[in-house]
Amino acid sequence: MPLRRVIAILSGAMWMMAPGPLFGQEKMAMPNTTTRPIHNESETIAPIATQPVPPPSLPSGLTLEQTLDRAASPPPKDFPPTIRDDKLRAALLVQQLEYGFGQNTDDQVGWRAMGWIGFDYDKLWLRTEGSASVEGPKQGTSETDLLYSRLITPFWYAQAGIQYASDWDSEDYNDRWSGVLAVQGLAPGMFDVETSLYISEDADVTLRFEADFDLRLTQRLVLQPRTEFRFAAQDVPERSLGAGMTNADVELRLRYEIKRDFAPYIGIGYHRLVGETSGLARAAGDDPEELLFFVGVRFAF
Amino acid sequence: MSTQRFDGMSGLTRRQLLGGTAAALLSSYTFVNRAAMAGRSPLGRAGQFSTLNATRPEGIDLVLERRPLLVGGKAGSAITLNGSFPGPVIRMTEGQDALIRVHNRMDESTSIHWHGLIVPTDMDGVPGISFKGIAPGETFTYGFRVRQNGTYWYHSHTGLQEQLGHYGQLILEPAEPDPVAYDVEYPIVLSDWMFENPHAALHKLKTIEGYFNFQRPTVANVDEQMEATGDSLGEVLKKRWKWRSMRMDPTDIADITGVIYTYLMNGHAAYENWTAVARPGQKVRLRIANTSTMTYYDFRIPGLPMTVVQADGQNIKPVETDELRIAVAETYDVVVTLPENRAYTLFAETMDRSGYTRGTIAPRAGMSAEVPPPRRRPMLTMKDMGMTPGMKMNGGGKMDDMKAMKHETMPMVSEQAGPLPTSNLPKRIMHGPDHHGPGSIVMTMSAFRRLDEPGLGLGHDGRRVLTYSQLRCLKTPPDRRPPTRQFDLHLTGNMNKFIWGFDGKKFSESDMIRFVYGERLRINMINDTMMAHPIHLHGMLMDLYAGEDYAANPRKHTVNVQPAELLTVDITANAPGKWAFHCHLLFHMEAGMFRTVAVVRSLEGGPIHAAS
Repeated sequence: MPLRRVIAILSGAMWMMAPGPLFGQEKMAMPNTTTRPIHNESETIAPIATQPVPPPSLPSGLTLEQTLDRAASPPPKDFPPTIRDDKLRAALLVQQLEYGFGQNTDDQVGWRAMGWIGFDYDKLWLRTEGSASVEGPKQGTSETDLLYSRLITPFWYAQAGIQYASDWDSEDYNDRWSGVLAVQGLAPGMFDVETSLYISEDADVTLRFEADFDLRLTQRLVLQPRTEFRFAAQDVPERSLGAGMTNADVELRLRYEIKRDFAPYIGIGYHRLVGETSGLARAAGDDPEELLFFVGVRFAF
Repeated sequence: MSTQRFDGMSGLTRRQLLGGTAAALLSSYTFVNRAAMAGRSPLGRAGQFSTLNATRPEGIDLVLERRPLLVGGKAGSAITLNGSFPGPVIRMTEGQDALIRVHNRMDESTSIHWHGLIVPTDMDGVPGISFKGIAPGETFTYGFRVRQNGTYWYHSHTGLQEQLGHYGQLILEPAEPDPVAYDVEYPIVLSDWMFENPHAALHKLKTIEGYFNFQRPTVANVDEQMEATGDSLGEVLKKRWKWRSMRMDPTDIADITGVIYTYLMNGHAAYENWTAVARPGQKVRLRIANTSTMTYYDFRIPGLPMTVVQADGQNIKPVETDELRIAVAETYDVVVTLPENRAYTLFAETMDRSGYTRGTIAPRAGMSAEVPPPRRRPMLTMKDMGMTPGMKMNGGGKMDDMKAMKHETMPMVSEQAGPLPTSNLPKRIMHGPDHHGPGSIVMTMSAFRRLDEPGLGLGHDGRRVLTYSQLRCLKTPPDRRPPTRQFDLHLTGNMNKFIWGFDGKKFSESDMIRFVYGERLRINMINDTMMAHPIHLHGMLMDLYAGEDYAANPRKHTVNVQPAELLTVDITANAPGKWAFHCHLLFHMEAGMFRTVAVVRSLEGGPIHAAS
């Protein structure tokens, strides 16, 4: 493969050009995988000995030549696949399904889930989160993203797609569509990270950054801190957003993994509107801070 | 296997006693009796297998059925061969023709692969490579000349059927007098069993990393780690952070563990205590086959040294040892002698220490000896990433390390001409910048020889443990030419997404690996992952580079490649046709760690895509 060869030559040249003790002569002599052939590149470096090998075991009714011909052909059409390593799979992980309550907020039901259908490298990805009040005035929000997702490095997906978001109260129902670009994966330190850029139908640009990680207290008891920060690139009056950081949330959940895919939990969350957005909320008579307690369950299929 | 009926009865008695009263005992006795009289067969048990001779002129029949069986005292749905599992011990005699009719009475297609046997390509039993498979209701007849002797095994090569009991032992009697002297022999078929649907288990592995690992580093076991390693709190936390920063779990040793597995010896769970009967002074040959799908076993008989006489069906120069690690799909024959009139425990502990199975060797059935306590589960170290002390992550090694390694260096491949060396091979290969794409997490800085190492968690407790460097063949096999072609094969995987492959590619993304008919080929396997992989080649045996005396290097059908190991095998490509070449961890294989090898006339012409 020429590309591999080019890489090999270039990296060989880099070894030689790089000054300093790191890339000294000693290193040159150490065999390196870059300069070594893989199976479809290796060449016979000496003639194949004519010495007879132990006689082959042939299928009955076939000559050696026929057997070798068959070996060089693709598998016959009526042969089944040998293994199925590219199966279509689907999964659903409901990270949060919870009842939230606090001193100066109405009780609410919250959810956060993701699911996918696809193959190892390419998936159709769905994620949804939101909350809805269960007492007091009717009120809620939801955000649902549908993304094409491609595994670009071992730990990271690049994603692109659309979002449908809505918020409502007893008088109003607002919704909007946005385009989404996102990167999702596992950062060094085992942090689950999602960064998403949204461009709404009104060309408003917002960004959401989420990170969490699992601190295992015992084999089944897991403490999960989680943060979420949101930013807006401009003022968005109809969504009561000011330019700059708009939201900062910190949450802590303690779950017990009865099974790895079924874990009830309790939690606490501090949600705060920030900067200009916080001022807008105050002006509207709303509290920019919220302290919530959660009881919920995390599960997967 | 004279003890099996006895075991069945004792199981029954135990359950009845749990019932409590004599009345309960009586009524359950009548119930069992009535069921039998009404023609309803009570549930059969795992581990009730017979012995068949496949080289008798009329051949043998194997009937495959899906049926409920008691496994470790609990009902599970198994694939049975002639009524139970493991399947019958099939004996064959070298030089004669074997004839095996396989009747598939299941509602799914199946197959049987004769693991380690040199057979024609169409008799190898791999659907999609050697044949179409055996459709439901069909009978397939295997017929081939037996060209070897020794202990082997057989199993399904279809889907995840092997996990459901579709395996058994093969014993090939030598045509010449057996160099191994023994008075009695017993099969020791080690396996793992799950009551869960194996496809559901694979789905869990694919979607939640570490699903079955309940031996992870936690806040609660920090002190245990300090105690075990002698590290201070600060050192333990620093090490843990280092692993976290690499997004790796040092306790990721077995993908599926004792959390769902029942570990079996000859189909019997540990408490059922399968027993080999032998008189003191008798030479007892134990034919140990690891027919597990995912479990490496560490086998020992506390108080009794074992003489290893055969590995993968090939006779070796006898080596005495106290313990041996048996990778998935390997076989070892050992000879032991009871020194006194008492029982000894046959102890097979899993590599990750999440469970064990055991049996007993004793002068009489019904005896037992102490079962040793489980050992602490090991943890991977920086060495398993191919790092030497002082070597730095990110940005290459320091000058001192390179100097220290200078004695290990070798000329590069391209400078060579003529046959490849058969001694003094490179001891270490640095991993280049190519990380093989998203299907591969390359954790290793370098790959190095680990032939003298007994493996993770072994060799620190005063016991002698068998290593590959101790395997020396008894008689040099016919072809020991130096190889004329070589390539590197990277063992790769993404443990986070449970994608496995070679050179970063799954089977479905790959081309066939072509061997040239008649050539002597060298494959340098480089394990880029932090897991051990048992690599198995069909149709041809591999000459393992296990030491400087090339003529004495052993032949194997399955080679265990430890984390960050550089392991070299030389192969005589004398088997025309197509062959499977794969990791024998069943779930790794099904996730893509598989290749078709085509033994072809020449390397002219384009690559052949493996999937049809």
